[in-house]
Formats: sequence, structure tokens, C-alpha cells
Amino acid sequence: MYREYSPRVTDETNVVELFDICAEMLDELRDGHVNLVSPFATSYYKKWWSDYPQNFDSRLLDEYYLHFGGYTRGGFTYAILNDSIAYVRYPSFASTVSETTLDWMLLLLRDCPTMIFDIRDNGGGAISNVGTIVSRFITERIGGGYICHKSGPGHGDFSEPYAYYFDPADANRISWHKPIVLLTNRSTFSAANNFASVMKLLPQVTLIGDRTGGGAGMPFGSELTCGWAVRFSASPVYDAKMQLTEFGVDPHIFVDLDPEAALDGHDTMLDAALTYATQLAEEQSTLRTSSTQAAESTPVTPAR
Amino acid sequence: MSFPVSRGFSKLLATLAAIFCAASASADNSADTIVRPVTAAYTLEIGSSHLCDTYLTPLHYSGWATALGYERSQALKFAPATWTGVLDARLKAGRTLNPAHTAAMWDIDFHIAVSMLRRWQLPGAVSLAIGPCLEGRVGALSLMRNGNNPVSARAAITAGITARATWKTQLGRLPITMFTRPSMPLIGAFFSPDYDELYYEIWLGNRAGLVHCAWPGSYFHLDNLLGADLHFGATTLRIGYRLDLRSSKVADITTRTTAHTFVLGICSDWISLRSRATHTPDAAILQAY
Repeated sequence: MYREYSPRVTDETNVVELFDICAEMLDELRDGHVNLVSPFATSYYKKWWSDYPQNFDSRLLDEYYLHFGGYTRGGFTYAILNDSIAYVRYPSFASTVSETTLDWMLLLLRDCPTMIFDIRDNGGGAISNVGTIVSRFITERIGGGYICHKSGPGHGDFSEPYAYYFDPADANRISWHKPIVLLTNRSTFSAANNFASVMKLLPQVTLIGDRTGGGAGMPFGSELTCGWAVRFSASPVYDAKMQLTEFGVDPHIFVDLDPEAALDGHDTMLDAALTYATQLAEEQSTLRTSSTQAAESTPVTPAR
Repeated sequence: MSFPVSRGFSKLLATLAAIFCAASASADNSADTIVRPVTAAYTLEIGSSHLCDTYLTPLHYSGWATALGYERSQALKFAPATWTGVLDARLKAGRTLNPAHTAAMWDIDFHIAVSMLRRWQLPGAVSLAIGPCLEGRVGALSLMRNGNNPVSARAAITAGITARATWKTQLGRLPITMFTRPSMPLIGAFFSPDYDELYYEIWLGNRAGLVHCAWPGSYFHLDNLLGADLHFGATTLRIGYRLDLRSSKVADITTRTTAHTFVLGICSDWISLRSRATHTPDAAILQAY
């Protein structure tokens, strides 16, 4: 790296050129969490999403599925699609999730048999929100993953992985334990990537869409002598199976957004999720009916 | 080095606290033949601050610092002629900039210390005092441009040594007391995260290795107030200069804080008037210094 980039910096290099050279050098890390921040620009590596289909069109969703409706509160937009499927769009983990908003949202969607949770184009934010949301989908404590950090300046100086856990929400909170379809794409990054890795471990969750963008390392900030800020990944986060999700989480079912269908107002990823969610709802309904009939036909043994 | 506070150190802290409390408690039953006025000083400090904390940035930041201080001194009951108890509290705030002036770092710090000083009266109106000191400190440096590590928290509890030298003289007809009061912790415990450990990981529950042994090699702190008390009748004007020098090195994190502040304050002596106290006219008045 030094041999390649050092000769490019000369006495004639101006500040903008120096920024570009440094940014290019940092791109070698191929990490979307790495930034160089100067007073005139912020660099960031884009190929984790730019080399892949976007697989999301906000206008398509708003116009043809939400009909410019739905409820929006606390970062969530939610609605009932096809008269029965709960749909929740969560485009960013940036703002703190309100427990009250979650209560109201899940209360208003409570009659739906299945939910589509759409985190396409969610670039992350506060990872502490992951636990807040996941707590509404679990009934017992689960392993959230492992985190470690740089323990010294040496290349291999890392701490022992520390296991962390998520607990169910308090009993007075409203939870959701029915099937969930999680919609992902390549722009599902950082905290959203972490959320996908945790959700994938839940038995009632099916991931549909494209592989997530990764970004499993927690970034750390520092400065260069010229006063520019630099951000880099310093704390690797592993999933509960001790797998590194830095390069993304694969869905259970791969689906792309068909650009031609999009011209006709179809989000083929959301369509696939709706079809799958409807099938799950029908299977649940059939199971409920069968169990009810079985219970009714079972002779009652009188107590002795 | 990283290990829990030793049992021996806990005993030392408990013993010092017990001695100080016993001394204070005995003051409540004071003999009325001795009056021990409390000397209270309220100070405002303004000056420069120089900060470095490699957890946040390798750069040195410079700027201003200000502090509000309170000091309470009183001759101790069990040996009022030779021992003085001092309570010292200070709230400090500062704002500094990096060399390129592209980012600001805030420094908030609160410390409280109790100490007992053994006094010796020397010829020439000079007195010397020295004794043990217990100090607690909490604070934080904040560099908000760092997204996930915007704060470097500080907390320490230490036992150390403090001293005071005074020289009572006159400036023309104005009585003044020149003094210097250094203090330095010798042993204790202080908080520090690991090298690049995020507070998020601590919040998740990983609390291992956060408390470190403080000794002058890992946690150095020299605080020296050089001042003069100008006695205008019942009120005293305090002016001075404080050097507050701190550094720590643990887990490959180096912190350095240097503050030079001008001190301006008001001191006054007061006597507790309690219903049980019946001071006789010939009661001896023993000042803290």
C-alpha cells in the first residue's frame, strides 16, 4: 500500500488531490464503514451496493402498494396489504425506536396472520435498536451474537468474543410471534445487516430478497494530523453461530426486482413476499381448522 | 495491568475514612475552651487547557478551561493545634480545538477530596503541613465527531498525599498569607475501557478489565495551587495560579491533561453557633492554618 500510494503524493499535490488519494487508498479496505471526513468532502466505499441491482424503488412501493397511504411514526411506515398481510417498512436504524410506537403498530396490525418486514435500503444506524425490535418477536432469551474489539495496536490484537443476548419484551408490551417475512437487498447494511442475521435465526422468520450488504464491524473514529476525521471498523460482530456476517446475510429465497415489471407497477420482490406470506397464512388457517376439528372429534374420557 | 481493587487497598481507604469521620464526629462534642473556625473558600478559575486522549484522537487539543471550587478547612478536634481537615471540591469545564481547528473537544470533570494534614510551625511565620488524602473523580472528554466513541469517560478513587506550606507576611499594612498546596495520588483504582473497546460493548454487559490499579506509573496527577490570601478585615481575597497535570497510560491508551488557571476567590472564617456550645471568653481560637 505504501509503495503504491506514497509516490503519488508530491510537493505539488494539493489538498483535494491528497484527499482523493487517501480516499482511494482507504477503498482498498472494501469496507462501507470506512470514511475520510474533511471540511469539503466525505469519502466512502460504495461497491458493496453499487455493483449489484438496487432491488428497491420507493416510488413503486408508495404509489402501487401503499397508495401514498399507511401510517408513519417513529421511523416505521406500516399498513395492511391485500386486506390481510401486515406490512412494515423500516428504512433506517438511525433514530431511537420508541416502545410506544412499537406497541401501537403491533396493536393495529394484530389481526393479520403474517407480517412482511421490509428493510431494503436500510443503511443501518443505532445497533441498540436491533434488540428493541427483536424483543417483540421472541418468547425467550436468544443469543444475539458475539462482539470483540481491538485490544492493542498489533495487527492481531483482538479481545475474546463476548456473547450477548436479547430478552423478550416486558409482558405489558405488545409482541408478535406469528410468521414474518423479512425483505432484504444489497443496501441492507450495518445495523440492518445485524438485524437480518439475528432475525434469520428465529424459526418463524423467512428472509426473501437479495443478500444483505454486510458491514458487521462496529466503526471507531479517530483523526489524522491534518484535522480530517477517519472512521474504520474496529469491533467485529459475529452472529449467534459465530459466523462473520461482514459480507452479508443470504436470504432463504432469492428474488430480484424485475425492472420491466416495475414499469407496470409491480415490485416483484414484494409480490413474492406477499405470495409467500399469503401461503403461510392459509397454512396456518388450515392447521388451526384441523386442530379444532381433531379436538372436537376426540372422545372425552370421563374423570374417574 | 488490570485487576480488581485489592482488599488491602479497601482496608486503607476504610481506615482513612474512619479516621476522618471520627475526627469530624469528635468535633461535635468539642470542648468549649477551644474554638475552631471553619475557613471556607469559594473560587473561580479561568485559564488554558491542553488535552490528549488517544482513545478519541492522537492529536493534542488546546483551548480554555474554567472551574468553580470550594474548599473547607478546619482544625481537627482530636489535635486542633497540629492537625487540619480539608474538604476540597471542584467542577471543571473546558473546550479545546485540534491544531487544524476542525473539531472541538469538551472536558467536564468533578473531583472531591478529603485530607488530614499534620502541621508544623516553623520559624519566620512559616508553617508546613502534610498528610493523607482521599480523592474521588468523575468526568469525561467528549469529541462528538467520533460516531461510536464520542466520549472518553473518567472515574477514579485514589489515596495519596497532600501538603501545604504557608508564609504569613505583610504587604505594606495588608496582612497576606502566601501558600502552595500540592497533592498527588499514590494508589487507587481508575476506569478505562480497553484499547478500541466501544461503550456499546460495555453496555451489552462486557465489564471485564475496566478497573485498573492506579499508581504514579499508570495514573499520575499533580495538582498544585500557588496563591496568596489577602486579608481585608473579615473577608479574604484569594488569588493564585493552579497547575493541574494529569496523565494515564493503560491498555495502550494514553491520556494527558494540562491546565494552567488563574484563581480568584473569596475566603471567610465562620464559627458554628450551636445551642450546646458555650464558648468562654477566654477560649483559644485555633485556625486551620
